[in-house]
Amino acid sequence: MNRLHRLRFHWTFLAVIALIPLVETVFPHQRHLGELLRPIFIMAILGLGLNILTGFTGILNLGVAAFMAVGAYSYAILTCDIYPFQLGFWGATGLTILIGLTVGLLLGLPTIRLRGDYLAIVTLGFGEIVQDVLKNLDTITKGTQGINPLPAPTFFGYQFRPDRYQPWYYLFLAFVALIVLLNRNLQRSRVGRAWISIREDELASACVGINTMKMKLIAFSLGAAQCSLAGALWTSFLGSSGEPGNYDFQISVMAVCIVIVGGMGNIGGVLLGALVVSGFNSIVLENLTNFLKAHELISTTSVLTVPGNWKYLLFGLALILMMRFRPEGLLPSRQTKAELHPASERDSPA
Amino acid sequence: MNILEINNLTVRFGGLTAVNAVNLSLPPHQITSLIGPNGAGKTTVFNAITGIHEPVAGRIVFNGAEARRPFRSTTAIALTFIAIIAGVSLALAANIQSLWETAVTAHYQYRQAFPWRDVCASVVAYFADNPVARFVWPFLVGALLGGGAAFVVWQRSRRAPEIAARAGVARTFQNIRLFNQMTALDNVLLGMDRQLRSRFWHDALRLPLFWRERREAAQRAMDGLRFIGLAKEAHQLAENLSYGHQRRLEIARALAMDPQLLLLDEPAAGMNPAETRALMELIRKIREHGVTILLIEHDMRVVMGISERIAVLDHGEKIAEGTPKEVCYDARVIEAYLGKSHEDVPTT
Repeated sequence: MNRLHRLRFHWTFLAVIALIPLVETVFPHQRHLGELLRPIFIMAILGLGLNILTGFTGILNLGVAAFMAVGAYSYAILTCDIYPFQLGFWGATGLTILIGLTVGLLLGLPTIRLRGDYLAIVTLGFGEIVQDVLKNLDTITKGTQGINPLPAPTFFGYQFRPDRYQPWYYLFLAFVALIVLLNRNLQRSRVGRAWISIREDELASACVGINTMKMKLIAFSLGAAQCSLAGALWTSFLGSSGEPGNYDFQISVMAVCIVIVGGMGNIGGVLLGALVVSGFNSIVLENLTNFLKAHELISTTSVLTVPGNWKYLLFGLALILMMRFRPEGLLPSRQTKAELHPASERDSPA
Repeated sequence: MNILEINNLTVRFGGLTAVNAVNLSLPPHQITSLIGPNGAGKTTVFNAITGIHEPVAGRIVFNGAEARRPFRSTTAIALTFIAIIAGVSLALAANIQSLWETAVTAHYQYRQAFPWRDVCASVVAYFADNPVARFVWPFLVGALLGGGAAFVVWQRSRRAPEIAARAGVARTFQNIRLFNQMTALDNVLLGMDRQLRSRFWHDALRLPLFWRERREAAQRAMDGLRFIGLAKEAHQLAENLSYGHQRRLEIARALAMDPQLLLLDEPAAGMNPAETRALMELIRKIREHGVTILLIEHDMRVVMGISERIAVLDHGEKIAEGTPKEVCYDARVIEAYLGKSHEDVPTT
């Protein structure tokens, strides 16, 4: 059997991504590719969090942006010096994950018994409610101003700076790798098996003695915690919580796109989906717009001619095309299953 | 003592009475068949036993206890706890802006040390200032809503499939319900799930218990597959197995639960005579391992060949019960299956 075949896609992918800043140090560019990749890591974490729900357990969550907002604002309130808490990066991140976990649990407890579409509507509503609460709770959240400035993280005395992108890059990459490891461990264990059985047939799963409500609740709050981590990391990088309107439905839809385009239930697929969807959004479209503007091919007065304004139309089109021609995603999980048990193993009795 | 005792079981769907006042008792280590024409309510009886349908009336006693979540002192404590948490949360949420102002904004000077001790005192002072409007009402509303909702949820989840499964009832389904995108081995491992001891953190951090249990569980699952004759297909996806193998795999999954009572819903449906004979052999073998079996089956060769007792349902009512021979010659059974002879029909 070919050894390369056994090399997992997600580890290979992360290893290649890890080399990019090194390559760029050797061959300096005007504009760093690595710098552009940072939002992709955030979207990857968001997608991985959603993948636990949608990919493994089969729960559609249309409100991941709300959990991201919860994470972002928790982190901002815990670190900003206009509040008394003023925790460091690590303390605040840890606490933010716990807050995300709790919020997920609190939302999940009364609603997790709802089936399919109904739960999706609840999460959709939650996404809108969180934005409105953050906007109107202005004594605490500063309303639409957002909370800023936030201190940059430090790592064993090393201060992160906005002008050097490599430390940020590796910090985000490390978090992505950690989450990939965690989710992969869970996927290939008792917990993940129970999650996937719920996706496959919830009634049969309950009939073999799996506490489906508990397993769904674990998935729900774990997904929420990972989404809030994405929010905390993004906030720490921006140095501002941003305004509540930043965490709108479009972010949630983009996360759903990432999971569907990449391949539901497959960790490597989600990473690829984040690269394709988020990369298309923040690299291709942006550069195309800049290029067209620089060469005066489009007028700056008409909004319709700017490619960036077409992105949601293009996402929608991409989703329809995916559903028509490749509904299992770019990297489907069944392939992973086949890799897990290669033909050589199948022939010999275990 | 009987392993399963069904008294006066009645299940209704809206205005339709699917099962009406059925009594059934299963002696241990026997094979009992439940037969009857289509729509007689056989599967509904199965669904009531496994907690899928809530009966309107009647008791299902399994091993001397009703298979539903008992009301324990911990249940009461948990419900009270939820009510209090919900009440306090609502009281805090209703006053969040003013609380934040009095407790945090008023005490905090930019980059000065924060007097944490004053926070608690000012929160208490804030509520003490106007306790009824600020605390009592929101607390009561929250406690009633939270506690009430928790109680309703608990009440409605008292009889759930997983509770019957935990008590030791395993079943197969009339239309096969396997986990299609998982391997045969994983399907059996899921059946074993409730016997595994590793928890979330063992799995996430790959602690020693995870590795040990994974090895042991895979070993046992393979034994189970070997028993059922599917060892070669262990690593195939369930949906790629042949129909007969899928039926067997469903039995293997149920057996992995280590049940005391096994409910088989038409296991021989769609099988050829050779497969049917092998299945009868298998059912006998399972019984020898001390499992009580309740069987729904239309294939009379199977029913007459292996059952010690037969109960006949028609239109939701039990019309006969006894040994195969007794049931065979029972006038009401013949009538249910074949109809009345025209000589017996009173002319109008």
